[in-house]
Amino acid sequence: MAKKISSILIANRGEIALRVIRACKELGLRSIAIYSDEDVRAVHVKRADEAYHIGPAAPAQSYLNMAKIVDTAVAAGADAIHPGYGFLSENENFPEMCEKKGIIFIGPTAKAMEVTGDKMKCKEVMTKAKVPTVPGSDGTIEDVEEAANVANKAGYPVLLKSAFGGGGRGIRLANNEKQLRQEFEMASAESKAAFGKAALFVEKYLQHIRHIEFQLIRDSHGNGRHLFERECSIQRRHQKLIEMSPSPVVDQKTRERIGEIAVRAAAAVDYLNAGTAEFLRDPEGNFYFIEINSRLQVEHPVTELVTGLDLVKLQIAVAQGEEIPFKQEDLKMNGCALECRINAEDPFYDFAPSVGPVPTCNIPYGPGIRVDTYLYPTCTVSGYYDSLVAKLLAWGRNFDEARVRMKNALDEFAIEGINTTIPLYKTIMDDTNFIKGDLSTDYLDRFKIFDKMGEDVKDRTKERALAAVAAVLMQSEFVKKAGAVQDNPAARSKWKSRGAIN
Amino acid sequence: MEFKVGDLAHLLDGEVVRTTGDGSSVLVKIGGKEHSLRLLRSGTNEFEFILDNTYHHAKIVQSGSSEVKLIVDNQPLSVKKHSKLAEVLEKASALGAAGGGDRNLASQIPGRVVNIPVKVGDGVKKGDVVVVLESMKMQVAVKAHKDGIIKEIKIKQGASVARNDLLAVIE
Repeated sequence: MAKKISSILIANRGEIALRVIRACKELGLRSIAIYSDEDVRAVHVKRADEAYHIGPAAPAQSYLNMAKIVDTAVAAGADAIHPGYGFLSENENFPEMCEKKGIIFIGPTAKAMEVTGDKMKCKEVMTKAKVPTVPGSDGTIEDVEEAANVANKAGYPVLLKSAFGGGGRGIRLANNEKQLRQEFEMASAESKAAFGKAALFVEKYLQHIRHIEFQLIRDSHGNGRHLFERECSIQRRHQKLIEMSPSPVVDQKTRERIGEIAVRAAAAVDYLNAGTAEFLRDPEGNFYFIEINSRLQVEHPVTELVTGLDLVKLQIAVAQGEEIPFKQEDLKMNGCALECRINAEDPFYDFAPSVGPVPTCNIPYGPGIRVDTYLYPTCTVSGYYDSLVAKLLAWGRNFDEARVRMKNALDEFAIEGINTTIPLYKTIMDDTNFIKGDLSTDYLDRFKIFDKMGEDVKDRTKERALAAVAAVLMQSEFVKKAGAVQDNPAARSKWKSRGAIN
Repeated sequence: MEFKVGDLAHLLDGEVVRTTGDGSSVLVKIGGKEHSLRLLRSGTNEFEFILDNTYHHAKIVQSGSSEVKLIVDNQPLSVKKHSKLAEVLEKASALGAAGGGDRNLASQIPGRVVNIPVKVGDGVKKGDVVVVLESMKMQVAVKAHKDGIIKEIKIKQGASVARNDLLAVIE
């Protein structure tokens, strides 16, 4: 479609909705927001040119209500819809419905989404395009001999995964062929008992892996570019916590080599607009493609900071049928960027979610600091949506400058009313392994980061002991003067208890 | 008055020596040493002051007879107050008098009760799961804060709880 976009409905909420609205304002486009009952006072509603109520709090009835959203876009006269990330962004019915109603979908085609959404199908396509994937079976295996062959080719140790469900049975590890045959027996029997078929996958077990992804952009004229890599190895339960660019283990040669593979992967699925090719890298330096995320990702600002590009504006240009305005060789990696995902979770209480009003907050700023957030004093963090409340980014001319800027920004960041994961990042910024770039997806456990976090809190408490006692003395004085009753169980209940600031 | 800051082992004695003029200049004695304090701003729950030439900001989050929870310079911590009287009161309540305090297991978060894997009379160890709540698309286990026996369960499956609501009593 080569239609000029003059208005965009943002089918999302929170910080990403505000991000897209900002791009609209820069381009002089009319921004249309949608909001649920929970988000009546949300910042993206305040900043948009127009806002439409979309439904009650529950996502299924609001931000996932595809028909209602498209109808709203039509009624509002929106030229295009930006899906943000999460919610409907990777639902292939969404671009289809938009097309039927004559609305431009800012993202890939339904067809590309279908392929990238099916991991096995995608793996097939990639193998044909000579993109290296995790060694293992190309499809399901029902016969132990086939499993042994695949395992021998891939190299031990291997994982045996069930093709159906997941449940508690999960994944089995086999260190050699004897173990494989044993595990296969048992896994097949379980699978047959539960699902009537003994269908399993065999995959090489990669340890101490690093998660390295490449940002991609591809236009409707077949031009594909990679916008360098991001390393996202520090994760908890498969959720990314910290992302950075460049990766400490990617040199220019590797960047060009894997970048070219990523661009080829995008072409293989005829991808359109912005996306990310994810790879796993083993300690030997081998890269394995795992999947393409067919949306703009949470961590896109990391790439924006090291390339100087505005990815949302680029998305809008591509959606209008424009050609990507730069060649691959025009791009240069500039400096280093880090991102910490600040979640409303208590890292000292097993990451328990924290919700409620935020009476006040102090958002850091200064040289090299960028914050993408929906927080503002008197806003509310809702329990209906995910726990990401802010993305704190730091850019520096090199890793260390970025790291120290991030550390200082974390010290300045104050969010009252809820618990956040800020203390965890404070500890990581000072961790020698992080500073050395010794990262892997098991980083947190491997280097006992949670224990260190506890120690750091003790240190910070010690530094403040004098001031703390002084404050308590002042409180007694104040209360004495005011003549209030300090010690009284009834009065105790009048004190609202608040969550802590980091 | 003696104070225990967080988990720090040593107690700090603290007292106000004198206040001058309009009350904004205070001389305090903490840990046996005198310190000059200049109060910049004070409210019921919040204080900004300069202590020995360093600026500090403190916000009182929760205040009780024996413990104050506050945020000092962006770091949450607790200060326990010890006086002879407070000790006597604590010992008295530990002998089974009224007053929940340590026996109460309260919820840290608002949520919905999805599972209660214990019943009244069960013995639990510190860390055992007493209640499972659901919030923000996640399940959270509320664990016993001490060893003991479940004396009471205050909530039912499916109930909605708010932060600090009492969930159970462990003797």
